[in-house]
Amino acid sequence: MTEHVTEKDVRDIAEYCRIGLADSEIPQMTADLNAIIDELAPITEYDLTGVEPTFHPIGDLSNVMREDVEGQSFTQEEALSNAPAQQDGSFLIPSILGGGEA
Amino acid sequence: MEFGTMDIAAIRSGLAAKEFSAREVAEQSLARIDAVDGTVNAFLEVTPEAALAKADEVDAAIAAGAFDELGPLAGVPVAFKDNMNLAGTHTACASHMLENYVSPYTATCVQRAIDAGALPLGKLNMDEFAFGSTTESSAFGTTKNPWDTSRVPGGSSGGSAAAVAAGMATVTLGSDTGGSIRQPGSFCGVVAVKPTYGVVSRYGVVAFGSSLDQVGPFARSVHDAALALNAISGRDERDCTSQDVTIDFTRGLDAGVSGMKIGIVPEFMDAAGLTSEVKHAIEGAAEKLREMGAEIVEVELPHVRAAISAYYVIAPCEAFSNLSRFDSVRYGFCDPGHKSLAGQYEASRAKGFGPEARRRIMLGSYLLSAGVYDKYYYPAQQVRTLITQDYERAYETVDCILAPVAPQTAFAFGQISDPATMYATDLYTISINIAGNGGMSVPVGLGEDSQMPVGAQLIAPAFHDMNMLRVAAALEEAYGTARVAPDFADVKAGA
Amino acid sequence: MKKIEEVLKDWEPVIGLEVHCELTKLETKMFCGCKLEFGAAPNTHTCPVCLGLPGALPVPNKAAIESIVLAGLATNCDIEKHTMFYRKGYMYPDMAKNFQTTQGPKAFCMRGHLDLDVDEKNINERYGVAELAPGETFENVTRTEDGYTAKVGITRIHMEEDAGKMIHVGGAEGRIEGATHSLVDYNRAGTPLIELVTEPDLRSPEEARLFMEKLRQIFLALNISDCSMEEGSIRADGNISLRRRGTDQLGTKTELKNINSFKSLHDGLLYEICRQAEVLEEGGVIYQETRHWDASKKRTIVMRTKETADDYRMFPDPDLAPYDLSDEFIERVRAKLPELPDQKVKRFQETWSLSAYDARHLVEHRVTANFFEACMETADAKLAKPLANLIINDLAAMANDGLDLSASPLSPARAVELVGLLASDAISSKQGKQVLAAVLDEDKDPAQIVEEKGMKQVSDTGALEAVIDKVLADNPDKVAAYKGGKTGLLGFFVGQCMKATRGQGNPKLINQMLAQKLNG
Ligand SMILES: [Mg+2]
Ligand SMILES: [Zn+2]
Repeated sequence: MTEHVTEKDVRDIAEYCRIGLADSEIPQMTADLNAIIDELAPITEYDLTGVEPTFHPIGDLSNVMREDVEGQSFTQEEALSNAPAQQDGSFLIPSILGGGEA
Repeated sequence: MEFGTMDIAAIRSGLAAKEFSAREVAEQSLARIDAVDGTVNAFLEVTPEAALAKADEVDAAIAAGAFDELGPLAGVPVAFKDNMNLAGTHTACASHMLENYVSPYTATCVQRAIDAGALPLGKLNMDEFAFGSTTESSAFGTTKNPWDTSRVPGGSSGGSAAAVAAGMATVTLGSDTGGSIRQPGSFCGVVAVKPTYGVVSRYGVVAFGSSLDQVGPFARSVHDAALALNAISGRDERDCTSQDVTIDFTRGLDAGVSGMKIGIVPEFMDAAGLTSEVKHAIEGAAEKLREMGAEIVEVELPHVRAAISAYYVIAPCEAFSNLSRFDSVRYGFCDPGHKSLAGQYEASRAKGFGPEARRRIMLGSYLLSAGVYDKYYYPAQQVRTLITQDYERAYETVDCILAPVAPQTAFAFGQISDPATMYATDLYTISINIAGNGGMSVPVGLGEDSQMPVGAQLIAPAFHDMNMLRVAAALEEAYGTARVAPDFADVKAGA
Repeated sequence: MKKIEEVLKDWEPVIGLEVHCELTKLETKMFCGCKLEFGAAPNTHTCPVCLGLPGALPVPNKAAIESIVLAGLATNCDIEKHTMFYRKGYMYPDMAKNFQTTQGPKAFCMRGHLDLDVDEKNINERYGVAELAPGETFENVTRTEDGYTAKVGITRIHMEEDAGKMIHVGGAEGRIEGATHSLVDYNRAGTPLIELVTEPDLRSPEEARLFMEKLRQIFLALNISDCSMEEGSIRADGNISLRRRGTDQLGTKTELKNINSFKSLHDGLLYEICRQAEVLEEGGVIYQETRHWDASKKRTIVMRTKETADDYRMFPDPDLAPYDLSDEFIERVRAKLPELPDQKVKRFQETWSLSAYDARHLVEHRVTANFFEACMETADAKLAKPLANLIINDLAAMANDGLDLSASPLSPARAVELVGLLASDAISSKQGKQVLAAVLDEDKDPAQIVEEKGMKQVSDTGALEAVIDKVLADNPDKVAAYKGGKTGLLGFFVGQCMKATRGQGNPKLINQMLAQKLNG
C-alpha cells in the first residue's frame, strides 16, 4: 500500500472537515484512506489528452433558470423548527472565536 | 386480505368494485407492518395518520364517483426511503446526525406519489446517508433479508427492497447512486428500477452524489414499477437536472423481445469475483431471451474497468460537499455544552456521523484539495466521458444490455467489512450511474448454490428506459413475477 | 509616519479592488423564490433552499443573470458564453450549505475596463503624469487638459450568492472578538451578489475612490442595485502593496476590509500606503494579512494573518446546469442598456458646450445630473454654465450633507430664476448665496426674496460713479500711493465702494470703473 496520505495529513483533513477524530482513530482512518486511494489508480492510467470532462451527466442540459417571481417562504417558527438552539428569532451558536475553549 | 402482497391492478379493481375500501388497505397494511417488521426492521418510522388520512381522501373520491380521476397509485400502500422528505415526518437518513430532524417540506417524488393516490406508510431503513451496500451502516440497526434473515438485504436502499419482498408495501421508493436500488432489488428478489438521470426529480431527496443520484421504484412486478414511474417522473422546476419526460412507462411492456438486440458484455461476464451461480443465472436469462426471439450480441465497454475508480472519486467529492451542511447550527445533532463553535462543530460531526460517512467526507475533502483535484477529480470526469461514449457506441448496435447486478447473491451479515472490497462489489452497477443511463434489476430465479434470489440487470440508453422495462417484462413472463419471500408469504396480519 | 506626498516620491502603490454588489432591485433571491427585503424580522425570508435544508436544490434567477450580463456590457467586458457555477467550500455559520455557489475560472463577464477621469488637483498622485503634455500617453494613462484619464482593467465579474447576517453578543460593541455567542439570520443568505475584481491597475487612493464612484454611477444607471454602502449592498475590499519607483516586482499585499464608505476606502488605503512605506523603510516585512480600517481611530489593524493560501475545494456544482448564453440572449440584454455616465458626460458637453470638468461633476451623482437636465428644459442655453456652477459648487455639497435635491424648496424653475438673476447682474454672487439660502429656508421664489430684502444690485453707472468719486476724494493719500505703484490698494477702494452702496453695488462694474479712473 502506498502512503498517499500521512497521519499528519489525515489530522489536517479532519480539521478542515470539522470532524473531531480521537487520536486513537487516526491510524485506522489513515490506513483506510490509503487503501481506497490505491484503488483509484486506474484513473491515472489513461491518456486523457483532449478528452472533455463530463461534470454533468446528460450533457445537453443548459440555461435552466426560473423567473424572478416570489414563492413560498417559511414562517420564523418553521425556519427554526429544527434549530438546536435559538434566541430572538435567530439561530444561536457559541462563540465563533473560541470563548476560552481549546 | 393481505394488501401489501397484492399488485396495483388487484388493489385498483378491488377498490373500483368496492370489495374493500382504501381505509381497509391502509389499516391492514399497517397491521402487517406491526406483525412482520419486528423481524425484518425495514421501517424506521411508520406514519399511520398520514396513511389513513390519504385513504379517507381516496375513499371520498370513490364515493363521489371520481375513481377514474384518481392517479395510478390510488389506494396503493407505498413507503419511502429515509432520505426522502415528507413534511411532518422524520428524515433521518438512518443517521444519528438527523435522528430528531422533522421535515418542514416534502420531496417532489414523495409528493407526486401521494398526489397519485399512494397511501404513505412510512420511512424505510438504509445505509447511513446511503453510504453502503448492505444497510449495515444504519444507525438504527440493520434490515434483514426477508429470504434469509441471517443475510443482508443489500443497500443502500435495503429497507425499500425488504419492505416489498416481505409484503409490507406494494411499492417503495429508493435512491441509487452506484447501485443502491438495483443491488438490494437483486438481493431481495424484487423488481428495482433506477431510471435515467433526470427522469425523477431529486428535489427533497437528501443528496449523496448529486450527479449520480437517481430515485426509482421497487415493486413485485414490472408493470407496478412502470406505474410508479409514471406517477413520479417528469420535469420539476425545483430541480435543474430533471427532464421533461412524458413517457408512459407501461406502454409496450407486453410487446415481447422478438427482433430486439440485447448486448452481453464480456468485461462483465468474465470479471474476477463473479460467482458461478450468478453467471449461470445471467446466461440462463440470455438463453431465455434468445428463445423468445431476441438476438444476443457481445458488446465491448473498454473503459468500464475504470468505473469504480471514477465513482470513488466523484461520489465522495460530491458527498463531502453535500454533507458539509450538517453543522449543528440550523438542524441536526448538536453536541451540547461547547463554549466555542469549533468545539461544537467537531464534536457534533464526529459523533453525529458514523464511520463510513466520516471516511467518505474525508476522502472527498482530500480529493478536492489543491493539486489532488488535478490528479484524480478532473481525470475522473474525463474517464466519465469515455465510459459514456462506450455505452453510446454499444447502443449503436443493441437496444439494451443484459448484465449481472452483483457478483454474488445476498451474503451474511458482517461478511464483508473492508471498505475497498465492499466498493469492488459495485462493478456492474456503478458505470451506469457514471454514464447516467437507466438500469434495473429483475428477478431471474434463485442461485443454484445459495438458493437466494438473483437479479438480472438490464441497462438502457438514456431516456430509453422503455427498452429495459420491455425486456424485463419478457423475463418476468419466463420466470414469473417477484414473489413475497417464502417465510412471509403466509403471514397473516390482524383481523 | 511620513506624509503621503513624501511616500509617493519613493514608492508606487499598486492597488486592486474586489467589489461585491447585491442585486437589490430584484424581487427574489439567487437560487430560491424568497423575497429580497432589507430589515425584515429574522429568518422570515427563508425556505429549504436558502436555509440549506437536506435535499433542497438551487434554481438560478434568470433576472440575476440578465443583470450581471448588463453589468458586464456596461463595463466593457467580454460576455463569456460557456460558464458553470462552482461550489466554494468553507464552513462558516452564515453560509447555510457551508459552500458558496459562485463561478469558477470562467465568469459571465471577463476582461473589461473603466476609464477614470482624474482632476488636475490630484495629478501628482500618479507619478510622472504632470510632466506629460495633453494627449500624451504613459502606461495606462492619458494626460488631458484638466487632469488625466486612467484605464483600469476589470479581470472579471462573477455571479454568486450572499451569506446570512450575524449578530455577536456578549462582547464590546457587537464585535466578534470577546463575544460569548452569536445569532444567525438567513434572510440575506442567497441574495444575488455580483463580484467585480479589478486588475492591480490603480495607483492612488483617489483613483480607488473614483473607481468606486464610477462603478456606483453605472450600477445605479443600470438599476440593478440601490448601491447603499450603509446597508452593505455595495462593499469594497482593497488589495494593496508598494514597490520602489522604477522596479517591476510586486510587493507583498495586504487586504483592507470592512470599508463602509468611499471616504473609508480612500482614507484606509492612504493610511495603508504610509504604514507599509514606514515598515519597509525601517527594513521590516509586510505580512500577507487582512486588515480592518478603524475610522474612529484612523488606522488599520490586523484582522487575520493568512499563513497558508485558502483551499476552498472548488468544483463544478452538479446541481446546476451549465450556461450556454446565446447571441440572442446577449443582444436582448444589450438592448436594455440605458445611457451610461460616460455617454451622459459626452452628451452634456456637446449639447450645452460644457467643459469636461463641469459635465463630469454634474454626472457624478444621478440627482445632480437629473436636476441639471430638469433646469435645462426651460433655461436658455447660455445659462448652462452658471447652472453647472451653482450645482457643482453649491448644491452638490449640500446634497452630500443630506439635502434631498429632488424634494427641496429649490425647484429647477427657481434654480433657473436664480441663475438668471446672477447672469443679468441683477444680484451679486455673494447675494446669490444669500438668496439660495433664503429659498431653501423660506420656500419662496428668488425674485420675491430679492424684492423683499431690497437686494437689487446697483449697476447704474451714473450712481456708481458718484460713489467712486466720493471714495477717491475721501482718500487722497491712498490714491497717491496707488499711483506710486501700490496697485494692491484696488481692493481697498472696491471695499469702500461696496460699503458705501451697502453691498448692493455691482463689484464687477465697480472694479472696471475704479481701474479706469485710477489708471486713466
Ligand atoms: Mg466572492
Ligand atoms: Zn429561500
